[in-house]
Amino acid sequence: MKIVKEVIIVVFCLLLIPAAAFLTTAAKQRLADGPSLVFSGGPLEAGALHAGAEPDWSVVSAVPTIELQLLDPPRSRRIWTAEYEGKLYVWSGYMSTAVGRLWKHWPIQAARDGRAVIRIDGVRYERQLIRIQSGDVLDGITAAITSKYPSQTTRAAVEEGDAWLFEAAPRK
Amino acid sequence: MKYFYWGIAAAVVLTVLAVLFVPGVDQWVEQTVLRNVGRAAR
Repeated sequence: MKIVKEVIIVVFCLLLIPAAAFLTTAAKQRLADGPSLVFSGGPLEAGALHAGAEPDWSVVSAVPTIELQLLDPPRSRRIWTAEYEGKLYVWSGYMSTAVGRLWKHWPIQAARDGRAVIRIDGVRYERQLIRIQSGDVLDGITAAITSKYPSQTTRAAVEEGDAWLFEAAPRK
Repeated sequence: MKYFYWGIAAAVVLTVLAVLFVPGVDQWVEQTVLRNVGRAAR
């Protein structure tokens, strides 16, 4: 019995090393300008702030991910995006699952305060995230999403709350 | 075991310092996480 206990202690101690590496990398990224592929980052600071007319968002069809930062809390993450009829959309899946609720906080925070900054190709845009939960427009948006990504996002998933969809509208 | 615990403590401190201050170590950690997540997803 003693040997089993010692083996467990040794394995636990050895796991502390990769855990320290993971947690330190995550903490370091929180202080950085923007997210990495895995870890969320700090506020988006570099890059010109777009001013003027609404851009042609069809350019995002060639952009795999964008950086999204909420103003409250000021943390950024890398997410998928899609354009439909000249408007920009972001979304989050798995929201009705326990794992999703634990893993993804930004959609809940965005529903509370939708002020956001996105950065695409080094240019920052001030946006207001507006949640969309119903309407015929969902057919077109989810078609745009599934044609761009290997995603299971459907109109039913959005309406049932499994996927939270937001329009990244211009901020007034 | 006492020396083992000291060794682990030293390794954890060195790991934290390396991630914080040695260029490229944080990217290596991230790539390792990505590789393992990708393998788990497959």
